[in-house]
Amino acid sequence: MYKSFLSWRYLLRRPVNLIGIVGILVGVGALILILSIMSGFLEETRKTVRGSLADLIIEPAPRQRGTGRSLPEEPSKILELVRADPRVAGACAQLTWFGLLAPTGDSSPVVIFDPQNASRCGVQLYGIDSADEFQTTDLRAALMQESRRGTLRVLDPDAPFEPPPEYVPDGKPHDCVVVGEQLATAFDLKRGDVINIVTANPRPEDTEFKPSNKRFVLAGTFRTKDNETDLGRIYMDRQVLMELLGPPRQFSQVLVKLKDYPQQGKQVRDELSEKLYRAGLTAGYKSEVRTWEQFKEILLGAIANEKVLMAIMLSLVLLVAGFTVYAILSMMVTEKRRDIGILCALGATPSGIQALFLMIGFWDVLIGASLGALIGVVGAFQIDSIERSISKLFGIEIFNRDVYLFDYIPSVVDPVSVALIVLGAFVCTFVFAFWPAWKASRLHPLDALRYE
Amino acid sequence: MIQTSATETPVAAQQHGVLLAARGIRRSFQIGPRKLEVLHGVDLELRRGELLGLMGSSGAGKSTLLHILGLLDPPTQGEVVLDGESAWKLPVERRARLRNKKIGFVFQFYHLLPELNALENVLLPAMIAWSALEYRGRKEELRERAVNLLQSFGLSERLKHRPAQLSGGERQRVAIARALFLDPPILIADEPTGNLDSATGEKVLELLLAEQEKRSLSLLLVTHDERIAHRCRRVVHMTDGRIDGEPGAVVPQG
Repeated sequence: MYKSFLSWRYLLRRPVNLIGIVGILVGVGALILILSIMSGFLEETRKTVRGSLADLIIEPAPRQRGTGRSLPEEPSKILELVRADPRVAGACAQLTWFGLLAPTGDSSPVVIFDPQNASRCGVQLYGIDSADEFQTTDLRAALMQESRRGTLRVLDPDAPFEPPPEYVPDGKPHDCVVVGEQLATAFDLKRGDVINIVTANPRPEDTEFKPSNKRFVLAGTFRTKDNETDLGRIYMDRQVLMELLGPPRQFSQVLVKLKDYPQQGKQVRDELSEKLYRAGLTAGYKSEVRTWEQFKEILLGAIANEKVLMAIMLSLVLLVAGFTVYAILSMMVTEKRRDIGILCALGATPSGIQALFLMIGFWDVLIGASLGALIGVVGAFQIDSIERSISKLFGIEIFNRDVYLFDYIPSVVDPVSVALIVLGAFVCTFVFAFWPAWKASRLHPLDALRYE
Repeated sequence: MIQTSATETPVAAQQHGVLLAARGIRRSFQIGPRKLEVLHGVDLELRRGELLGLMGSSGAGKSTLLHILGLLDPPTQGEVVLDGESAWKLPVERRARLRNKKIGFVFQFYHLLPELNALENVLLPAMIAWSALEYRGRKEELRERAVNLLQSFGLSERLKHRPAQLSGGERQRVAIARALFLDPPILIADEPTGNLDSATGEKVLELLLAEQEKRSLSLLLVTHDERIAHRCRRVVHMTDGRIDGEPGAVVPQG
């Protein structure tokens, strides 16, 4: 009984213990808060990156290994094989290539290699079959997103490549494209504007580089919140891009959406890879059928890595808190030598004395870790409004919303991580409290009693 | 008062019921290269209900002997028999339990815990004796007993006072209440009035002797004050780590 009673009393009567408690509180709170934000970033990035992709990406290699067979130039067989799998929810073909965007009214000859000309911009051209695309990717949702500048989005997302009412045909009607919201902003494009797209599709037999040039009407914008996509992607009908590029390119990749990606993703990937190879539709390389996570593994890996590094760095705060507890308890053992002697004279055992001082560490970590966890969790849930309040109060912008893929600070509180951090704080404190507590238990009662 | 040798013949000891006995106790300390012998084979017996005074000049070894008898300091040689058991051969946990249940200590410098009030200080041996669950089950009863004890010692107004708020005499009375709280059969008092003025010391001594009488305690009282020694029924003298006199020698006083 005396252990819990006295340890609590010592804790209350010695304000120096507050330093240890605050140290643990800060360590636990910061760890939970920062890791929740990092998890939020990772989660949001995954969502954003996944948005313009699908669960599986099939990219047949240009040449087939050794067999001499040529790969299909059009995607229908691959789509047929993929859609035959009951676990597949949707599949679509995409044709992608590179181009240059030269905005409205620019009828001057295009100078491709002119780095000084800011009115030219490298873009990714995406040829899609919109109905299939909508079943497979999140493009339809991106088309519904209003631009930050106002009414720029397509009028009918289900028919994205229809000419907008703002467009007045001047002679031959042009095909329509949809551009990323940031690209439209950068070039101050409006719905109905005519833009010039320059591209080149050199074939092995070509001896010179022949660019092709075509005018398109801007039907509207899309917004995925992924800067790279919103700043550099132009969607058009696959048939239109095929005509622009010329034969033989009909598709670059097939995207596949699964009914249950988390559970079945890897299994379906491996099985499809095998089936496609057997059907002579791929060359048999593993890289030809990838999950979206493999496709973006460098980006996702980098953020996950940052999270781990952050956790390691912040664990040092806990380590410092542990040292503080060690220092405070060592001081208390010296200060309480006489008490230890008295307790021994009254019948306390060495193990009881050790437990008494360990229990002071226990109260430290119980209070510190509980409050820290509370502050960390509440802080993680409220981080966006906290940041806005602080920014408003000091008139500075702590989180620049234009830089990231999202316009709020994301955070995901993982209960397992919170439990592990709290457990870590307990282990750390007990490790550091053990030595002073052990020293207290080894004190000779008489040495302690003579300590007047 | 009778002045006597430290031990009696085994037959006599049996008759009087020896509760605590030192047998051939030697204690030496290593101070640098020098070995300092403090006790040279001391034999001493404390019988049930006996009030035994232990006198000697400073450095005679009486405190060392007291600590060995109180199971706080191990002898270099010899044994301490407490209620028939060789106490220093017991495991440390059992020895601590013996100390808790059977021996009450009163120190010259009171040795109260400064963080606790008078009542809590008195309750401390009970807190050590019982687990949290057992203690909570008997909390009210224990508290009532402690309050009654302190009231009977004239401290009813001082229950919630911490040691720093008490006078020397009051502190020593709290210390005596703490030592007696678990009704131990043995009370060891090391110069209990040594740190008090004579009037207060006298009152504390009266209280101690009254409790000894009332509870039939075996009280081992260490003092260098002849007046206090005169109040003891039996007194042994120590000089240079030895008990004076021969076994069986009885010197009548007064």
